[in-house]
Amino acid sequence: MARMKFLCDTERCIECNGCVTACKNEHEVPWGINRRRVVTINDGEKGERSLSVACMHCSDAPCMAVCPVDCFFQTADGVVLHDKDICIGCGYCFYACPFGAPQFPTGGVFGSRGKMDKCTFCAGGPGEANSAEQVRKYGRNRLAEGKLPICAEMCATKALLAGDGDVVADIFRQRMAYRGAAGLGTGWGVAYDKGLRKASGLDGKAAGKED
Amino acid sequence: MFLEFVEGPLWYFSAVVFVVGVLWRLVDIWRQPSRTDLAVPRGSGVPGALRTIVTRSWTAKGFSRGATFHLVAGYMFHIGLFVLLIFAAPHVKFIEERILGFGWTPAPHWLFMVASDLAFAGILLLWLRRLMHPVMRKISTFDDHAAAILTFVVMLTGCLALLKSHDSLRAIHMLTVCLLMVYFPFSRLMHAFTFPVSRAYTGAAMGRKGVSA
Amino acid sequence: MTDHPSRPAIPSEPRQHGVPPRVRARITRYLLALLAFVLIAPLVPYAAAYLGAGNVPNPGAGLWNEVRQRAGPADANTQARGVESAVLINQVGERWRQFRSEMLVPVGAWLLLGTLGFLALFWILRGRIPLEGGRSGQLVPRFSVNQRVVHWFAAILFVFLAVTGLVLLYGRFVLIPILGPEGFSATAAACKEGHNLFGPIFPFAVLAMIVLFLRGNGFNQIDLKWFFRAGGLLKGHPASSGYYNGGQKSWFWMVVLFGIAISISGLILDFGVFGQGREVMALAHVVHGGVAVVFIAASLGHIYIGTVGMEGAFESMSHGYVDANWAREHHDLWLAEMEAAGMVGVEPNALEEVKRHDNIDFKGFGSPGTKAVQG
Ligand code: HEM
Ligand code: HEM
Ligand code: HEM
Ligand code: SF4
Ligand code: SF4
Repeated sequence: MARMKFLCDTERCIECNGCVTACKNEHEVPWGINRRRVVTINDGEKGERSLSVACMHCSDAPCMAVCPVDCFFQTADGVVLHDKDICIGCGYCFYACPFGAPQFPTGGVFGSRGKMDKCTFCAGGPGEANSAEQVRKYGRNRLAEGKLPICAEMCATKALLAGDGDVVADIFRQRMAYRGAAGLGTGWGVAYDKGLRKASGLDGKAAGKED
Repeated sequence: MFLEFVEGPLWYFSAVVFVVGVLWRLVDIWRQPSRTDLAVPRGSGVPGALRTIVTRSWTAKGFSRGATFHLVAGYMFHIGLFVLLIFAAPHVKFIEERILGFGWTPAPHWLFMVASDLAFAGILLLWLRRLMHPVMRKISTFDDHAAAILTFVVMLTGCLALLKSHDSLRAIHMLTVCLLMVYFPFSRLMHAFTFPVSRAYTGAAMGRKGVSA
Repeated sequence: MTDHPSRPAIPSEPRQHGVPPRVRARITRYLLALLAFVLIAPLVPYAAAYLGAGNVPNPGAGLWNEVRQRAGPADANTQARGVESAVLINQVGERWRQFRSEMLVPVGAWLLLGTLGFLALFWILRGRIPLEGGRSGQLVPRFSVNQRVVHWFAAILFVFLAVTGLVLLYGRFVLIPILGPEGFSATAAACKEGHNLFGPIFPFAVLAMIVLFLRGNGFNQIDLKWFFRAGGLLKGHPASSGYYNGGQKSWFWMVVLFGIAISISGLILDFGVFGQGREVMALAHVVHGGVAVVFIAASLGHIYIGTVGMEGAFESMSHGYVDANWAREHHDLWLAEMEAAGMVGVEPNALEEVKRHDNIDFKGFGSPGTKAVQG
């Protein structure tokens, strides 16, 4: 059984926001809601890194544990989804989530947040897959069509990986091995500069090829 | 199902009862024989009537001390209620779609909330005073309590439906609204339409007597 | 490798049998050295990497420390506009969730059920505290109209807020099995909207309550004695008290303190529009939820004693008058003051009351040390 996971390779992400745009477009996400966002650490400085982040579909999800109306469920693929017909927009999932994934449609005057919205791993929500209602409430259900999340598909540098956790982990492990021993093998130079790789004696260490 | 019934047939029924009832009551008042005033009028009744409609909107000098509570709570409640009734977004939408065919800019959410808090605080305070004040309690009838409680329940169910996502909550609000509309013409709630009439009547009488009261 | 630069290879002597012991020892030594070399050689790069690690910083470590905000807020930036959208890892979420699900929910449940159980036990053991001397038929004025209006204003708001709040807190465990997910969702939605809408009115009720009930609620020596005698609950240990007894004063000050705390934290939760982040919200929620369950538990005691628990108490808040015997049994010192002021046995004459409440000075009415008497 697949266990769906996202992974963002900080050595590859170039903060193009392609994933964010792809997501908004695919799901017609309303203004003000960011199912996915790219955060840049030390912007414009040495050691700048960007990370694309959305719901991580936690195995033991805090949002699920805290929701007062218990409206979350986890699919067989490990995707954490919620039922907007049940949600009361209390915001507790937002307080509990480690990644700031849950979003709310209004600014929340008088605590009147609307229904929560978050990344669905392109797996829609409850109800019939890709029915008009499901698409309106949760966006497209690509998983039901045998496709993977649009954000990762769109990622130009393949920094953002999405899919079966085992496969994603294998790809990332290969990249790390290719770049050299864990911890030492990171850095743009190592990742992309062939000369530097050669000089450091790390070139060709890994047998596997990147996807 | 239930919501369709409440929003459909029941709503039309209540609306008809409301409109016909209010008109019938007003016409009835209009047709009441008024005692002929044999005294020679010292002035015209019209300015007196108009003046009184306005001046009765605040307490006369001598009574102000005992009436501050009513003045404040009363205005809190009524202003709040009318802002709600006329400018709340779901109400504007309802008026546009179901009654007038046109709408207007609804109040922003924060104003809606401030208005409903004022209205809730006002009606609670007024009703509690009705219960606690010895004279108010003695002169209150079933009608007064029923009207206050019914209005409160309408407001409460409206406020509980604010998430706008559950048909059951909508239906309950609509049901209480229907009850209120059916009850309206036959109760003290008619004061919404009759207050200018009664003030004008008194004002005109005073005007003819040349008294400014 | 087996070559020896110092000693060229000597052709073996066919006459000798086997390997001479000297040579054998040497071969053994060579073999051991070879083994050691084979074993150690691969470790060298590791050692080099280990020693070199000090010079080549691990770029990953610094990055993830920043993401995790181990040394304060990270220097982070994002194109997404929203509250804390540049924060990658929420610093308080897990602690807040643990507080709510492991402290607030279970401890609150025990507190509330425990209080109910205690009150039930008390009811079974002591029953309703009766008017020992029966009714005298003589009335003593106790609370003014304004005091009663404000009391019930606060009480109605409180009960509504407590019920709607508890539905949010315990509905998932108690109500979902009964109402089903959809039914509870509608209930919870109504409770959330109702709670959020009525909440902001409550601070004003608390303020009005402070203004109208502050007088006479200061603690003094008599209360100390009252507490030592457990409020006179133990038979044969009557505790005298003035206008309010120690328990009532404690409740008043609880209302003041809890009321202020719950109002401020509630307003922070309610008005999420001022850009307050999750840290502030979580803190406000901890204060709000924690205070709420204690406040509700304490109110159960107050409501019990004000209704079924004590004969003759409820009428002080409904009509504003109490029976003189009730005053004698529960507030003897106050009754003495009222007797001295000639306020015992007054007729609840509406006209006189109105004079007292509305137009004429009622400052001395219903308060300790009453002097001014009209009508
Ligand atoms: C505090 C007071 C009130 C609040 C907060 C309130 C709120 C609401 C809300 C949220 C709705 C939309 C329900 C939905 O579409 O799901 C609504 C609808 C409506 N309200 Fe109110 N209301 C209040 C008082 C009143 C009063 C006093 C009346 C009439 C006398 C009234 C009449 C109506 C009507 C006719 C509708 C349309 C119902 C529908 O579309 O199903 N409301 N109100
Ligand atoms: C004495 C009165 C009050 C009591 C007993 C009370 C109780 C509660 C309880 C038990 C909760 C649920 C906590 C949880 O589910 O973890 C809650 C939540 C909340 N309360 Fe109160 N509360 C009171 C007053 C207020 C006031 C005065 C306000 C606002 C001014 C307020 C605003 C809120 C808000 C915004 C929440 C969060 C619920 C949500 O976001 O839907 N409360 N309260
Ligand atoms: C809902 C049920 C309640 C009942 C039946 C009730 C009943 C009473 C009664 C009978 C008294 C007068 C005691 C006396 O004669 O000295 C009283 C006093 C008082 N009540 Fe309540 N009450 C209720 C709720 C509340 C709530 C929710 C609050 C506060 C939020 C509150 C705050 C007070 C205060 C401050 C006093 C003044 C006496 C004192 O300081 O203890 N009550 N109540
Ligand atoms: S919303 Fe947050 S807590 Fe819930 S599964 Fe996604 S990342 Fe985890
Ligand atoms: S906002 Fe909705 S999904 Fe999130 S905890 Fe509240 S009810 Fe559950």
